[in-house]
Amino acid sequence: MKLYCLSGHPTLPCNVLKFKSTTIMLDCGLDTTSVLNFLPLPLVHSPRLSKLPSWVSKDGAVNLEKELKECAGRVFVDSQPEFCLPEKELLDLSTIDVILISNYHCMMALPYITEHTGFTGTVYATEPTLQIGRLLMEELVNFMERVPKAQAATCWKNKEIQRMLPGPLKDAVDVWTWKRSYSMQEVNSALSKVQLVGYSQKVELFGAVQVSPLSSGYSLGSSNWIIQSHHEKVSYVSGSSLLTTHPQPMDQSSLKNSDVLILTGLTQMPTANPDGMLAEFCSNLAMTIRAGGNVLVPCYSSGVIYDLLECLYQFIDNASLGTTPFYFISPVANSSLEFSQIFAEWLCHNKQSKVYLPEPPFPHAELIQTNKLKHYPSIHGDFSSDFRQPCVVFTGHPSLRFGDVVHFMELWGKSSLNTIIFTEPDFSYLDALAPYQPLAMKCVYCPIDTRLNFHQVSKLLKEVQPLHVVCPEQYTQPPLSQSHRSDLMLELQPPPMPYRRCSVLNLPFRRRYERIYILPELANSLVPSEIKPGISVATVSAVLHSKDNKHTLQSVPKPPPAPPSKKRKRVMEEPPVVQAPKPLLSGAVPLEAFLATLKKHGITEVKVEETADGHILHLQAEDTLIQLEEDGTHIVCDNNEPLRTSLRDLVLRFLQKL
Amino acid sequence: MDRGECVSLLPRVCEVLRDSGRSLPDDTSLEKLLDWFSGLTEAGGSLLEAHPCLLEFISTVVNKTSSDPDVISFALKLSGLIAATEDGFETLQERSVLDLTFNQRHWQEAGLWEDPCIRIGWIQGVRSMLQHSKALGFFVQADFIVPLLQLQTDSSLFVAAAANQTLAHVLLFFQPALSAGCNGTVKSQGSDTRTREHPGVTTAETDHDYSAVLVAISEYLKGSLVRGEENTRLHQSRQILKLLALLLARAAPPLRDKLLRTVADPLEELVTAGCSRLMPPLMDIVLAANSSSSVPDQRVTRLLSSMLNTNKPADRLRAAAAFLHSGHRDTVHTVRAVRILLLPLDIITGQTLLGADTSEEHRFSMVEQLKSKTTCVSMVCVCLTNTPQITLMPPDLLPCPLVVIVSAVLSLLRICCGDSSSGGCAEVFRNVIGSGKVQKCALEVLACLSSSPGVKDELTEVVTVLIQYLNDPDSDPTVIHKSYQALVKWMSVCEDLSSVTDLLRRDLSEVVRKRVCDMRWEVRDSTVEFLGKLAAVPKSAEETRDGTWPGSCSSAPLLREALQDPESYVRASAVAALAQTLARGWQQGAALTQEQTDIVSRLLEILSQDTEGFARRAVLQYFIAWFSSRASHTSPPSSSTTSSSSSSSLLVNSVSSILSLGSADLDWEVKVHTLELAELLLDEALSGHRGYRKGPETPPAPLHPYAVVPDRTSTLRMQGAESDSAGALSDLVERGVVSALLSGLVDCDRPVGLKACQLLITLRDTICPPPLETLDATPATATVARVSCELPACGWGREIRKILGANKCDKAKEADVAGETREEGKGEGNDGVSVCEMLRSLGLDARLDVLSQSSDHVHNSPLSLLQDILTASAAHTRQDMQPGQEVIVDCY
Repeated sequence: MKLYCLSGHPTLPCNVLKFKSTTIMLDCGLDTTSVLNFLPLPLVHSPRLSKLPSWVSKDGAVNLEKELKECAGRVFVDSQPEFCLPEKELLDLSTIDVILISNYHCMMALPYITEHTGFTGTVYATEPTLQIGRLLMEELVNFMERVPKAQAATCWKNKEIQRMLPGPLKDAVDVWTWKRSYSMQEVNSALSKVQLVGYSQKVELFGAVQVSPLSSGYSLGSSNWIIQSHHEKVSYVSGSSLLTTHPQPMDQSSLKNSDVLILTGLTQMPTANPDGMLAEFCSNLAMTIRAGGNVLVPCYSSGVIYDLLECLYQFIDNASLGTTPFYFISPVANSSLEFSQIFAEWLCHNKQSKVYLPEPPFPHAELIQTNKLKHYPSIHGDFSSDFRQPCVVFTGHPSLRFGDVVHFMELWGKSSLNTIIFTEPDFSYLDALAPYQPLAMKCVYCPIDTRLNFHQVSKLLKEVQPLHVVCPEQYTQPPLSQSHRSDLMLELQPPPMPYRRCSVLNLPFRRRYERIYILPELANSLVPSEIKPGISVATVSAVLHSKDNKHTLQSVPKPPPAPPSKKRKRVMEEPPVVQAPKPLLSGAVPLEAFLATLKKHGITEVKVEETADGHILHLQAEDTLIQLEEDGTHIVCDNNEPLRTSLRDLVLRFLQKL
Repeated sequence: MDRGECVSLLPRVCEVLRDSGRSLPDDTSLEKLLDWFSGLTEAGGSLLEAHPCLLEFISTVVNKTSSDPDVISFALKLSGLIAATEDGFETLQERSVLDLTFNQRHWQEAGLWEDPCIRIGWIQGVRSMLQHSKALGFFVQADFIVPLLQLQTDSSLFVAAAANQTLAHVLLFFQPALSAGCNGTVKSQGSDTRTREHPGVTTAETDHDYSAVLVAISEYLKGSLVRGEENTRLHQSRQILKLLALLLARAAPPLRDKLLRTVADPLEELVTAGCSRLMPPLMDIVLAANSSSSVPDQRVTRLLSSMLNTNKPADRLRAAAAFLHSGHRDTVHTVRAVRILLLPLDIITGQTLLGADTSEEHRFSMVEQLKSKTTCVSMVCVCLTNTPQITLMPPDLLPCPLVVIVSAVLSLLRICCGDSSSGGCAEVFRNVIGSGKVQKCALEVLACLSSSPGVKDELTEVVTVLIQYLNDPDSDPTVIHKSYQALVKWMSVCEDLSSVTDLLRRDLSEVVRKRVCDMRWEVRDSTVEFLGKLAAVPKSAEETRDGTWPGSCSSAPLLREALQDPESYVRASAVAALAQTLARGWQQGAALTQEQTDIVSRLLEILSQDTEGFARRAVLQYFIAWFSSRASHTSPPSSSTTSSSSSSSLLVNSVSSILSLGSADLDWEVKVHTLELAELLLDEALSGHRGYRKGPETPPAPLHPYAVVPDRTSTLRMQGAESDSAGALSDLVERGVVSALLSGLVDCDRPVGLKACQLLITLRDTICPPPLETLDATPATATVARVSCELPACGWGREIRKILGANKCDKAKEADVAGETREEGKGEGNDGVSVCEMLRSLGLDARLDVLSQSSDHVHNSPLSLLQDILTASAAHTRQDMQPGQEVIVDCY
């Protein structure tokens, strides 16, 4: 069993598991942190951005006037943002049989994998994962396509040039593999390959393995996967949460007794407790509004935003913010808010019960009804006429490189009354803000990451007790910035197997058994004989038939009667008589009893010699040796066939025959 | 007054108890009865003389073993109580009751000894009896010491504890008289009863009895302690150790020496055996032995040393803490204890608290213990809670300067937050990171350390760490609360805050503004409270002018916002904090600002509309604070002279609304506060008047209205004062003070009525002239008498009128219907009632008597108890059935 690791990002994994002749891709996360190296894409012409100076190397030798701009001491690529794809060279992607998706954040690279690689397999995901994932992809495409950039910068990727660049650009890896966003057509094509599954549904793959998704508690429809054969079980844990937020709670018990547990998607903010962050979010929001400022919340259009809205719903009245408008701007805002209300079976129990009541499960419906929360596809159109300040705006993209958020950054950045509150943990907020410097607006970092933290995961592992744990190498040592925090790493016995981008791991267990079926008529012909109480043995002669990873023993077909040959008649040789198989022997020859028997048969002069494997009996008078070993008995006797036969019979007396 | 009735009822009660003890009204009746009897005995009376029926009762009960065990137990205790006096003892012995009563075999044979309540009755009887040498003689003769020692390890904890107490009592009470030098000690240790009752009774016989008891107990102690190491004996060992601690704490030197000589070796054996569960009682013994002697005993010192050297870090730490708490100042051990207690802090933070000598022998075992989460947190907390005590030590006993301890605590606080630049023991970090318990302890310590000498240099660091805690989203509300407290403490102690000006102005005000909006009301509450306290911190004028202070100017808007908080506690705190913030404005008598007007109207709104009592109470306290600060800062009051735009006039103008709203409130505490405000107004109006005594603690003014009140100042200005009186009185009426008091008087809540009654009496005695017909009326007194007030037609007005009417009827002994109707007609006609006349005819003094008694005084009287018992038994016999369910509790 092998694991190919195509992504180095611990929360946006992309791994391929080769298991029992199947090739299974586990998630295909898209590492979008690469976009931080690009200039923001403004919706409206931004004089500030367009006037940024070009970057020129110190000696003036390199001048990429069109490609690189300088802002507040950092260099950005002026081009359509590009993403860092999963590794494509490690194995032939067309050989992948299935792709298992665990949640909608971990499927953003899907079109890159399924399109133009020769992929012919199936993708499995739950319904909310597919639908919300589609929304997120649609949003991404929309963000990119509505601000087209003619040129694609490539010169800077030249190794010689890149080496001379400053800052993070110089250290960016695999820049040649970075790709621009896919198109809507590719999204549709990729998503057409998705087959929907429900929690605990068992899907057979080629008869060899069975996969089934389990609730992971992280987001709507998020799942962990169990991949098992009759004798082996692999669990894939990705983005799970034990907190009681909106999704269905995590199913932990089904993860028990795994041979291998692949652990990815732990919290990216192990030191930030989500409850504290949520409280911090609310108080900073209230503080800004009271002081007359606006609040900007860059966020994804699904996920944590539901919890944020719910929390705000309770907080609004407390903090007397009843009159402040809340705006949610995203190309898919409407669908996202509506979808969340209809995926009843994927919600936590508390919300599930509300689906059948007049009251909608999420309180944001009430916020919308009372006009406290308004949503718009973009800043153009209705929004511009409804817009009232001070207000709170939720909009994407959290990287601040594209989407409507760029506009608000340009609009509000200059006033210190306004606040930007980061809640998504995927991007470093300092890097995200870099192209907007100098910035007067207040900035608050409240990353809300509900995924498992190290404390929870060690409890979980103690409970489910997998034999081996595989995880990204980042989890096996404390974070670089907090090297003394030994509590922020996985400590297990035996230690977990770490992986990084491009590693290929040999998972430490071998297939030891296969299940084989016996046809009834064959089974009927068996004659078992008991060798120990409760254990019977029988010999069987049959033909092994293997198809679709199922093995069956069938009776030996009778040789077909020789076809009467009319053309030529030949004296056929008698077909060789198939000798009845000799009985199989089992058991051991007890030395004392054997010697006694020999004595009874007149052989008295026996010299017993002990060897490493058994004994050698020297029959001195007969000049014969009998070697009694664990797995064989030899009688060495020259030219005395009668003696050999009688000795053989004596030995056989002590053995069992089948 | 009901003593006679009690005497007549008691025989019947005894009869009931004898016959049917089970039908008691409740299971505390017998206890109450016993309390009453012991009260009578303590008052010096003879029980048997007063209630001869008791003797009969006891002898019947003890002879009839079929009685209820509770009643038998009661009889046992009662006999002990009676036998406590020599006369009683003799009477009981003459009637040969005593022998049978305390004959343990008698009860065993009856199969009653199994019942713990019999055993406890026996022990307590013996204990009460042992007050004189005759009783001791009886005790020794009957060989009670053997059963008593057995009971010491009884399965019932109550029995065991009582047996312990009794054993200690015998030894301590009868310990031989001392030479003159030590007499004082003994007296102060509570054996004065004995010296009073038996002055100088030390017969040879008593001595003999005593030494017999002493020998028996010492032998027992010695024998049991040695065998005490097994686990099964743990209970016994613990009991014995407790007994020893009791004895050693109060024993005079000869007895103490004797005891110590007996037990020192076994004790040391126990200490070296190192049983953790015996450590606390062992430490008690050592401390008790230490406390009772001025010169440290060699044996005790040795014990202490070995306890401070045990191998188990947790035990060692506890021993050191206990030693430090005992207040002994034995240099060697103090130094040792301090080092033990500071060791965990030293290890975790890596600060060299214990000097360069880190080769502490116990360091390694301590590190091992600290690596385990549970022991780590508790040990660090023990270490922290004792740190303030440590800082009070003379500097030469400390291993390091105080400032190092402060910086170690700061370092610990940082580690708790997950930040550790200091090089402590990284393996221990994970145990304290995020531990709220450790954080709270450390913050408390930090607050305490603020006043230690020489720590001011750390101010910047302290403020930085505290602000970090306030800012940390993971901080628990209680942690935030403690951080605020510590911050206030440090800021009020440090005169020079210039080094932290920036931090305060920028970071602190930022974080406070955020916390005021927190989701958790506890946090908002502590923040608001903090703002109030901050305003109260004394500060130099310079800083106020600079505006470096984050208090007053910037906090008032936040507090005003908090007045609308959905949580009533926060609103209440906001009101209180506003009072503290604005106090400065009142004192300076500055011109009225719009802000003040707004706040006052907002507060009146809260008082009239808020649904929760807390907020309304706070509003009244706000005005009380304002009023008292005004009273103490401005020259004597007169609303007319202050300029109409000053804050003072605003206050005066709002007073009558506050009084009327406050006295109509539903919450009794609000009403009491209203009366407190009224009291302040009374103070103000009456100060300088003849016979006025201020303050709630003063007893109600002289009961006799004609009593001559010696007053040096007022006699000369009598005339003028009384004309003032009229003015003051009408002023009080006008402001609504009199109405508030009257409505309080008829309030259904006793505290309100009491307070109002006291104030009305004060008013009456100060201002109202004696009735006209008894003294010649001066024009001035006539003016006072003419001051009148109106009574509303309903509510409290009607109540007052009822009282007035009833009193009048009583006095005139006439039931003239026409007269009453006329009077009511008078009230309804909005005609005023003369205040003085009303005050005189309300019967305030009688009312005060009634109100001063606690509401359950009738219920708690012995008479009521006896009646209850009789009634319950009557009900019981009549219905002739068992009470449904009985709850039997092991409680004696």
